[in-house]
Amino acid sequence: MCGIAGIVDPTQPAGALSGRIEQMLARIGHRGPDGAGYVVDDGFAMGTVRLAILDPNAGAQPFGDESGRYWLSYNGEIYNYLELQRELEELGCRFTTHCDTEVVLKAWITWGPDCLTRFNGGFAFALYDRKTGDVFLARDRFGKRPMFYARQGERLLFASEMKAFLAVPGFEFEQDPAQLSSILGQWTPLPDQTGFKNIESLPMGQWLRLRGGELTTRTYSQLRFDEGPDVASEGQALDAIRERLTRAVELRLRSDVEVGVYLSGGVDSAIVARLAKDFATKPLSTFSVEFDDAEFDESADQRLVSEHLGTRHHAQHITHADIAEKTPDAVFHAEVPAFRSAFVPMFILSQRTQAEGIKVILSGEGADEAFLGYDLFKETLLREAWNELPDDVRRARIETLYPHLAHYGPDDIAAVTGLYHQFSLEKMPGLFSHELRFQNGRFSTRLLKEAGDPFEAITALVASTEGYAGFSAVEKAQWLEYKTLLPGYLLSTQGERMSLAHGVENRCPFLDPDVFALATSVNLKFDDGFVEKRLLREAFRDRLPERIVDKRKFPYRAPDAAAFAAKRPDYLDLVLSEAELSAMPFVNAKFAQKLANKVLSKPAGEISTKENQTFLYLLSICLLNRSFVRREALPEAKLPRVEKVVNLTEGALT
Amino acid sequence: MDKIREFIEEQFLIEFDESFPETSDLFKEGVMDSFGYIQLIRFLEKEFDIKFTEQEITGGVMVSLAQIELAVEQKVAARTG
Repeated sequence: MCGIAGIVDPTQPAGALSGRIEQMLARIGHRGPDGAGYVVDDGFAMGTVRLAILDPNAGAQPFGDESGRYWLSYNGEIYNYLELQRELEELGCRFTTHCDTEVVLKAWITWGPDCLTRFNGGFAFALYDRKTGDVFLARDRFGKRPMFYARQGERLLFASEMKAFLAVPGFEFEQDPAQLSSILGQWTPLPDQTGFKNIESLPMGQWLRLRGGELTTRTYSQLRFDEGPDVASEGQALDAIRERLTRAVELRLRSDVEVGVYLSGGVDSAIVARLAKDFATKPLSTFSVEFDDAEFDESADQRLVSEHLGTRHHAQHITHADIAEKTPDAVFHAEVPAFRSAFVPMFILSQRTQAEGIKVILSGEGADEAFLGYDLFKETLLREAWNELPDDVRRARIETLYPHLAHYGPDDIAAVTGLYHQFSLEKMPGLFSHELRFQNGRFSTRLLKEAGDPFEAITALVASTEGYAGFSAVEKAQWLEYKTLLPGYLLSTQGERMSLAHGVENRCPFLDPDVFALATSVNLKFDDGFVEKRLLREAFRDRLPERIVDKRKFPYRAPDAAAFAAKRPDYLDLVLSEAELSAMPFVNAKFAQKLANKVLSKPAGEISTKENQTFLYLLSICLLNRSFVRREALPEAKLPRVEKVVNLTEGALT
Repeated sequence: MDKIREFIEEQFLIEFDESFPETSDLFKEGVMDSFGYIQLIRFLEKEFDIKFTEQEITGGVMVSLAQIELAVEQKVAARTG
């Protein structure tokens, strides 16, 4: 795993860009503490900070081909690189390293952008063609690895994290109320959104080319639900799930350093740990977070899995004080507003993981989206069928759907049934599955003076997506999860941005394209979907403790406002002081202050989910404003040891 | 009836004034969502010793403070009358 950054500026000679690229890389040094390298040319510079995982001694970047024409700065892993290398060797390519970096470069030279569809992995990279001056950026199909870019006249900046742009003279961050409204409404940024004006995220499954000053983007991979294999029986489905997941884990264990597993206490990470253990030649290290509060703690189940598999388990206890202390750093790493605090413990956990000497971990992310693990999918099925169902079935389904939410208890069933009735027909075009969730989002947009229509962008996105209208209601729900919550929060804010804050790379077997394709073939084919992830559970029933296999989905969360109310850190002034709030002209200071006061003074039980959520948005927006816009309280930038510098103006093409 | 205003102001973090009149649609303004609405109904039923039918709850009529107050007045009158 690594971080990359680059700058295209036709007005600047190579010499002037060296210092600049070093400063940009220093801002993302945490992503690759093992070494830095960069290449400069007149008008162009790019570099990499490197976390050495495969062939650690040979993988210094940027990586050039033999002719010196093509240069690659690469972040991530292509898990099927050995197979691709063999294929390329048969086509005449010769390899000098055992790194996937070289495979990516040669695959590009051989196949051009078509190479991207062959890659199974999480990656983002930048490629420079010295001969033509073309710059090419690409990102993996699920949005596992980040790529941000900013265009300013003739200048193009790109980086794995936006904080690299802090090092560019003249670059100013400005929060964008229209994007913030959209983010608050739908909980996360859309694939191209960042929350800042003039900075874009390259959407998953896309590439971008800068040629002769002209920017072109193309989608090379669409999320489709009709490309899975034929599966005739449940028995066949269970065999295929075991087989594909086993392969997905095996591929993700390809590493020259030890690989650990994050255990959440749920069935998905337990399956990953089970399979990783099967391949392990030495004790497997597992990592978890645990809380005092039973509402959030899953330590009993984490320990059960660890003991069952005989892993070397590391439990990180998280207190209110930890959350209050680490939130500003974690938000700085996340870079986008967050709707809950659960990412902060993951920031602390990656620090622990790094301290234990582990650089690579596997996790269960992506299972709920692929195999229908969220209540959202059941809710969608129920609301969709609502008008055909008899009253008693409706009520029974509602009662079983959300037993952990007090307002779905028997007393309120009649009223809730009535409300479901209102949500049984689509009101927001294409967004039927998420209409209830978006109600909470609409509340959060009250933080903004001018929220506009928070759902304008997402409505336009689904309307312009080829094939979307033909998806089933549940497939639309999945599509939305794959484009919003998964990449926009789980894989990023709670995932790789937190792990890479401490040089830990995370890998997700459930994001293997073959696993996803299989899930699309078997979902709802052998059951009604009301036991979440049933096939996945059955596939591993004999291989894990029964309590884990049958455990109901337990959403991973951490203490939210309560942690800040208990500890009252100094930075709460940002959300409580009228002067601080009015420094952000787009914020509805009156509402924000009222909310912050309520959330920080009332007992936790009197704070609703949406108030908690809105408070976290407010706090993270204010912290981002402080660090990115006002550039106050910025963590120190640290450039890893420079191990490679290539000045292309000093040598001719061979 | 002040209690209804107080409950809504406290619960939904708003203040009724010239910029946010009592006739504002609380759903459309993003102030109230379905669960907030349930809380409100429970509060009204308990506070005023009344009972709303499913039809009344979901009829889409009680969307502003003014309408809610009117509905409660009518209910209370029907009970006491």
